[in-house]
Amino acid sequence: MLRWFEEGGNNSDVVISSRVRLARNIRGYNFSYKMSDADAKKLVKNVTDQLKNVSPVSDYNSYNFDYLDTYQKMGMRERHVISSYLEKQDYAAGFVAPDEDVSIMINEEDHIRIQAFAAGMNMQKAYTLADKMDDIIGNVLDYSYDQKFGYLTTLPSNAGTGMRASYMLHLPALAGNDKISGLIPEVGRFGLVLRAMEGDNNRALGDIYQLTNLVTLGKSEKDIIDNLDNIAEQIIAQERNYRKQYITKRKMTALDMVYRSYGVLKYARKVTLNDGELLLSQIRFGLASGLIKADGFDESNIYQLMIGIHPANLLMISNKDMDEEELEIARADFIREHLPTIH
Amino acid sequence: MLCENCHQNEASIHYTEIINGIKKEHHICMDCARRLNFAGMSESADSEFPFVRLLTGLLAGNSAQVEDGPMMHIKCPGCGMTFDEFTMVGKFGCAECYGVFGPLIEDNMKRLHGDSVHKGKKYKKQTEQTYDNDESDVLPVMKAEKAEKSAKERISELNMKLREAVEIENFEEAARLRDMIKQLKKEDTTQGGGHNA
Repeated sequence: MLRWFEEGGNNSDVVISSRVRLARNIRGYNFSYKMSDADAKKLVKNVTDQLKNVSPVSDYNSYNFDYLDTYQKMGMRERHVISSYLEKQDYAAGFVAPDEDVSIMINEEDHIRIQAFAAGMNMQKAYTLADKMDDIIGNVLDYSYDQKFGYLTTLPSNAGTGMRASYMLHLPALAGNDKISGLIPEVGRFGLVLRAMEGDNNRALGDIYQLTNLVTLGKSEKDIIDNLDNIAEQIIAQERNYRKQYITKRKMTALDMVYRSYGVLKYARKVTLNDGELLLSQIRFGLASGLIKADGFDESNIYQLMIGIHPANLLMISNKDMDEEELEIARADFIREHLPTIH
Repeated sequence: MLCENCHQNEASIHYTEIINGIKKEHHICMDCARRLNFAGMSESADSEFPFVRLLTGLLAGNSAQVEDGPMMHIKCPGCGMTFDEFTMVGKFGCAECYGVFGPLIEDNMKRLHGDSVHKGKKYKKQTEQTYDNDESDVLPVMKAEKAEKSAKERISELNMKLREAVEIENFEEAARLRDMIKQLKKEDTTQGGGHNA
């Protein structure tokens, strides 16, 4: 079965994915900040027991941190199956849909985090997936809920809907033209945050940014998503505009950059994570703007390579410990193996 | 310029907060920034928003200082979280904290979110009726059956309602609430569990 990030989606030239995350807490337990280890263990066990036989969770893959090593957890974080917060927890468990589009995390910063992904720009699909799972879980367990404050969460900044909706955006032209730092306060005025998925805001790893709602209380889920969509569309339009300018005014420079990146990826024998992400970002841009073509492969397929060259994934493939240099060699091998032939 | 949080050290971090288009300048010192996890601002996208924590911490701290201290002694009966600790970490310790600290940071919630009342999905178990914990239009004294609530919790609730009553200039109601608080405090003290909040 294809995982969500192996499928194509709307506006895939700029939007990699749509994600909805819901924060929920169970009645009868303190929140994470005041939770004892004993209660955390109890929470993990009780929630797992109560959910494991409920359809469709019963068909999901399940995991428990008691049986996972560091690299397995790291790999799950790299694929966005679990959050970096969960990765650091001593006691945690969860359920993951076979195509990894829905993930239930237990004992995160809130007792339960439901997360749903859709490829490209399709927040409605992601929300529907998360919302259905929320109904299923909420019917088995008792959520902490208050009519005034809505779903009660550890952070005041999550209260109300407990929802964060995020678009993962590929913004090489805006980043290359140094436009991100100007955009950040702009989107802030609309109750949103734009920031690097990894790396610093000025130049994110692979030029990948996340646009997320900050406001969770006092607005309906639909209004939050509509607002997010509005701003996302404007950012997409700006990114496309800069790409178009670049290609029309400096076509040979653009072509040269994309082909050079391809050449390095195709023939290098050692690749660092930073270089790999940067070069793959150029290839993604080249494919999305039609500068290069590959059979049966388009820009939406690049993201799985971007995930694949992260350390834990390479370690899992090689199935042995590696030092930095061996990792760079394994990364170069992985890229050569998966990079399509372009024409 | 002095730090707006501790009012002791020289402020060395200056930032502008824009919420719903309203600009506000903030000035804090390095010590408070570190304490409030300001450095965490550059954490990766996968983590939560420390900036918001900072904001909550700062604003909650400010309003408490304006209220002149006593709020700092309020404690959640559910998990033992104190208001002081709450403003420091910016996290609720349990669901009950919302009833205890929620009203105290209502203004900040409004500034953070632009509103303080949930308008999204309502939680409903298919087998049960909708959860309804809202008591805003029912005075706690009328809910005598809620005896499990501690005196402190009821006092903090009443204090909140008192503030609301004063704000909407319902002085008759405010006087009634004031007397109820007085009575409760007296009972609490005679039971030996009180403090002069």
